[in-house]
Amino acid sequence: MKMKMLWLVLLLASPGLVQAQDIKLPADVEKLSAKAKETVEVTMDGPMLRWASKFLSAEDPEEAKCAKLVANLKGIYVRSFEFDKEGAYSAADVDALRSQLHSPVWSRVVGVRSERDGNNVDVFFKMEDDKMAGIVIIAAEAKELTFVNIVGPLEVDQLADLGGEFGIPKLSPKSLSKAQKGDRR
Amino acid sequence: MSVDNDMNRTEDALKRVLRRQPAPDSFADRVLARVAERNSAESGRGHRDSWWCVFVQPLVRWATATALAVALVAGGLHYRQVQYDKAERERAQGEAAKQRLMLALRIASSKLQLAKSKVNEINADQAGNREEKE
Repeated sequence: MKMKMLWLVLLLASPGLVQAQDIKLPADVEKLSAKAKETVEVTMDGPMLRWASKFLSAEDPEEAKCAKLVANLKGIYVRSFEFDKEGAYSAADVDALRSQLHSPVWSRVVGVRSERDGNNVDVFFKMEDDKMAGIVIIAAEAKELTFVNIVGPLEVDQLADLGGEFGIPKLSPKSLSKAQKGDRR
Repeated sequence: MSVDNDMNRTEDALKRVLRRQPAPDSFADRVLARVAERNSAESGRGHRDSWWCVFVQPLVRWATATALAVALVAGGLHYRQVQYDKAERERAQGEAAKQRLMLALRIASSKLQLAKSKVNEINADQAGNREEKE
């Protein structure tokens, strides 16, 4: 009982720790790297982000935008597994990830289930006081499973800049609301 | 008579004053300690003098000065190299961290693009269906 109380006190006393990465990768998903042909694992918390962003050049427009985007973030966590063949991961693996995003603070703004090519994508926004406080992207493709968790205050236009920066069309709030309507299950 | 008496008195007085007295107990020890102290001080000065004498020779003086200068320069260069290596190591680690950060943002962007393209496909399909119905 005492131990439980101690853990509770520690948990309440360290909101920063809880907030830093409130989405945990299930153990089964972590094990997928053993099966994967290629695994990308990026774990960058606040101090690491600040340090890495010091090396972003202000003269390079792409890097300057990245530096601006990263400035207020608390963490970026990416896991991407690329497999040789289809069916290397189960739907349960993906559901275990999605199930953590059912709390009221998370809202799914994009949810696509494609029967044509089997590519399923979910984009969740974390809202706090009507402001974006994080984004999670789960992309489950035939031979690839990607999980992206960006923690921190993130303006929608900054996100759009991120989308537009690497030759990708910008995501506007309008297009995101369309996406919700067009959600196909 | 009186002269003899005077002489005797004077002689007695002198005998009293000049009579042999034993030295205090610690006297010998104090003398020996003082002698030893003086000897050691003299030998130390002699040793220092002989060690310092080496530098009287100009060749030795120059050699020593050169050796000191070389040691100073070598030390300075080594310190500079260590500092440079440390800065290089930090720069390389920072560059690697930057590349990881850029990779993470690229992956996030590509997956957003995937979501966007899927949404566009759905919207296009729905628009096509509507047109067919009309």
